[in-house]
Amino acid sequence: MKTNSRWILYVAGVLVVMALSALLSWKITVASIRDQNYIFDTFKKTNSIWLYSEKLGSQAASDIERARVAISGPLALSSKEALYFVALVGNNGDRLNSSCDYEVTGNAYDSRWWSITLYDSGTQHYVKNRINRSSWNNVSIPKLVDGGWKILVASEPSTKTELAWLPSQESPEQAFELMMRFYNPSQSLRNAVPNIDLPRIERMAC
Amino acid sequence: MLTFRSILFTAIAIGLAVFTFWATRLYIIDAAPVKVMTAIEERIAKAAGGWNSCFHNQSYGPRYNSARRANPDSIISSMAYDLTQGPVRVSGETWPSYWSLSLYQQNSDNFFVVNDRQLTGSNFDFILALDSQNTLKLDGTVVISPTEKGIMLVRRFASNETDMQGILDNQESMTCAPIDN
Repeated sequence: MKTNSRWILYVAGVLVVMALSALLSWKITVASIRDQNYIFDTFKKTNSIWLYSEKLGSQAASDIERARVAISGPLALSSKEALYFVALVGNNGDRLNSSCDYEVTGNAYDSRWWSITLYDSGTQHYVKNRINRSSWNNVSIPKLVDGGWKILVASEPSTKTELAWLPSQESPEQAFELMMRFYNPSQSLRNAVPNIDLPRIERMAC
Repeated sequence: MLTFRSILFTAIAIGLAVFTFWATRLYIIDAAPVKVMTAIEERIAKAAGGWNSCFHNQSYGPRYNSARRANPDSIISSMAYDLTQGPVRVSGETWPSYWSLSLYQQNSDNFFVVNDRQLTGSNFDFILALDSQNTLKLDGTVVISPTEKGIMLVRRFASNETDMQGILDNQESMTCAPIDN
């Protein structure tokens, strides 16, 4: 009888240990595939602030890469069709956030079409705003004389410049990210991957 | 005092904890894409009125109920497909400024993509089928899906709102339907 009680205790102890371990694993793993601080961990650095992955939507992706993409940006096109770059920080290395204004300056990229989109890093969705704009694309973006472009990323449009506005969150201290998409990029652009001359993101005022 | 038995049980408990931790982790990582795909498929099927039917986004700009990090410049037609009852046909006209048709298997991998420049002419006619299904007598380009269920997306680039009427007309010309045997 005493031996039986001891075995029940041992088995109960083992079950508790396994349950706690499973719970801990659940919390850590879900955070690692869903949390904004980890989802770009497997992206490669470029020679600028932009991060890049050629494995989005790809059968060559690792299990964790596939899980992260499925949760944080499902149904991406493989790099055969489109290239994706993401910027979490500005050129000064600080995290992009809604308390600051940024000037983003880019070139005329040799791609069938491209766009720059702003997402709230917390919700991983668009930022609601009064002009219903979350992106600029190669047709809609106002061009400079040399074919390049410059836009203002800020919570409010500028009263001092006439730069096209890409709204960030109205609430302060909200992290956001910028994503560049290139659809049907030219071979010369592909050859330069991942070190394309991607937009500069200069912090102006906070 | 530590006995052999207590050391043994402690070692077994640690071993089981590590095993459980990794088994749970591997399960979650493996299951997450399928779970996400299943949820999206159900959402598309509900919006389209069923599986193997097209659903067309008809508004320009950001859609706040869309998937995470969706592209606001792409006007999408989608279909949740289920090939268990036979092949499914997707046909219509391409869109000149950019059009692509992409297919995603149940683990979320983009196993097929084609764009308008890779097609001959401005019409498309694809048949989604399983490897085991006979498609020899069917007209159209056959694409074999690695899984019975999955998602098809057609992307059309809208540079601004003025493109929308043309895109709505283009959506009208598109059909998604099971092939009658």
